[in-house]
Amino acid sequence: MVESAKGMNDLSSEMEVDAFRRLFPLRFHERHLLESVRPDARPLGKARDTSLALGAVASADGSALAKIGSTTMLAAIKMEVMTPAKETPDEGCIAIEFHMPAICSPIVRPGRPAEAAPVVSKQLSDTIVSSGMLDLKELSLVSGKAAWMAYLDIYCLDADGALFDAALLAAVAAFSHLQIPVVSLNDDGRIVVFSKESEGEKPKNKPVNEEKRKLKLRSIPFGLTCIIHKNYILADPTAEEESIMETLITIVLDSSYQLVSLYKPGGPALAYQPIIQDCIALSRQRVGELQTILNEAICDMEVD
Amino acid sequence: MAAKAGTTPATYSPSPTTNNKKKNRTPLFSDVDWVRPDGRDFHQCRPAFLRTGAVNAASGSAYAEFGNTKVIVSIFGPRESKKAMMYSDIGRLNCNVSYTTFATPVRSQVSDNKDISSQLHKSLEGAIMLNTFPKTTVDVFALVLESGGCDLPVIISCASLALADAGIMMYDLVAAVSVSCIGKNLVIDPISEEENHQDGNLMTTCLPSRNEVTQLTITGEWSTPKIHEAMELCLDACSKLGKIMRSCLKESASTSQE
Repeated sequence: MVESAKGMNDLSSEMEVDAFRRLFPLRFHERHLLESVRPDARPLGKARDTSLALGAVASADGSALAKIGSTTMLAAIKMEVMTPAKETPDEGCIAIEFHMPAICSPIVRPGRPAEAAPVVSKQLSDTIVSSGMLDLKELSLVSGKAAWMAYLDIYCLDADGALFDAALLAAVAAFSHLQIPVVSLNDDGRIVVFSKESEGEKPKNKPVNEEKRKLKLRSIPFGLTCIIHKNYILADPTAEEESIMETLITIVLDSSYQLVSLYKPGGPALAYQPIIQDCIALSRQRVGELQTILNEAICDMEVD
Repeated sequence: MAAKAGTTPATYSPSPTTNNKKKNRTPLFSDVDWVRPDGRDFHQCRPAFLRTGAVNAASGSAYAEFGNTKVIVSIFGPRESKKAMMYSDIGRLNCNVSYTTFATPVRSQVSDNKDISSQLHKSLEGAIMLNTFPKTTVDVFALVLESGGCDLPVIISCASLALADAGIMMYDLVAAVSVSCIGKNLVIDPISEEENHQDGNLMTTCLPSRNEVTQLTITGEWSTPKIHEAMELCLDACSKLGKIMRSCLKESASTSQE
């Protein structure tokens, strides 16, 4: 493979770029790596343009649309009421699910779910629960009787690599947009939405959660996925890069730069200490960027 | 009673049950003169927002937003048919519609929507030149992000736009509009609330420039003159929608040239 770097010079000069890219994808990318640049003109350590919009879904209690390059994620939270478990009478619950519908990628077909979906789903709930971002006690309504169940569903609308990073960004943004409905306990012991209009008709029960409409988010987690290929580290890979260079490492740091999780699911390349440290340095930088993007999105929302 | 860890306990939505709403609303709708919940005239469609190229991973795609109804359609292919498929001289069309769990006001579980998928298939296949891609399949996948009424017509119009974006040969675009009959009135492009109280529904999908109808679905209670009136309304709205769809395609073609 070492002399292939020389050999391909001759080939690449004779072939059209697109044909070369399809026939020799690895050489095509390695040729770029030699010049410290990627096919989409990014330097190796740079993530793609990222945008975030809150409140994209009107029918949900909290929602966000995150875009990293072409990768698009739509996250929405619906709040429902449940009876808390006996062991934890003062705690609510969150249920996180990541979906890859057939529209997002040519690999996914209806009825045959993508392999990546349950993996990302598990990774997301592990990350969000273990980061300590949420205090489940805040989701309690009536101790031992009723608590919130927050259903967070994240849909991948366009899959172009770094799915976990985008999904996590959409998820935390949806939580920061979440506005919990004001509810009251009715005579049958059920929780119902508290409405001001019906007040005149008959004396209604008092709302139980008037001052608990926003969740306090502590230490928000952000993720960055990198490809390790030989001595190169490529931040925020596209789907094409992920399919050619298979060793991925995902690092999640929280807003105070504490390590939340480090995930390296096998792959042909091994991760040594210096490489991992370089990856963490890249994620630190990225967490700063993502935090600014999230804060701007929240500000935009408040202005509207 | 206590839910074990790992299993999801039974939950319910705190929003008021639909039964209560029905009792309040029905008398209002049955009047001759009432105001639509979103303030539109009876014969006025919701403003339509259409955009092609919503999903880069697909060969073609489109996003459609009619009021609160939001839909994305992706086209994949023409690509190899499933191995089990018999040889076919003409191309195949494979349609699938799915809903997000938050599409409806009360969270719903994922279900397959075979009926909607097959209706989408039926309304599109007449417009596509299937002979231009023999032995292969074109996949039409739709995801309803939010359901706000008239889902199927919006999916159909959006799908034909996505097919055009993917460069699939068609005789014409397919525009779809539906009309609800509520009491004595006909309301075009109904929202979910109106659809829940309708006595009958008529949906027309047509090829606007050829003035041909690919599908006509009539459900519920109708009188013959009402059907005529509703057809006229639909065809007129379809031709207007067709123009909007055409201008959307022109716009995306001109921006990609620059």
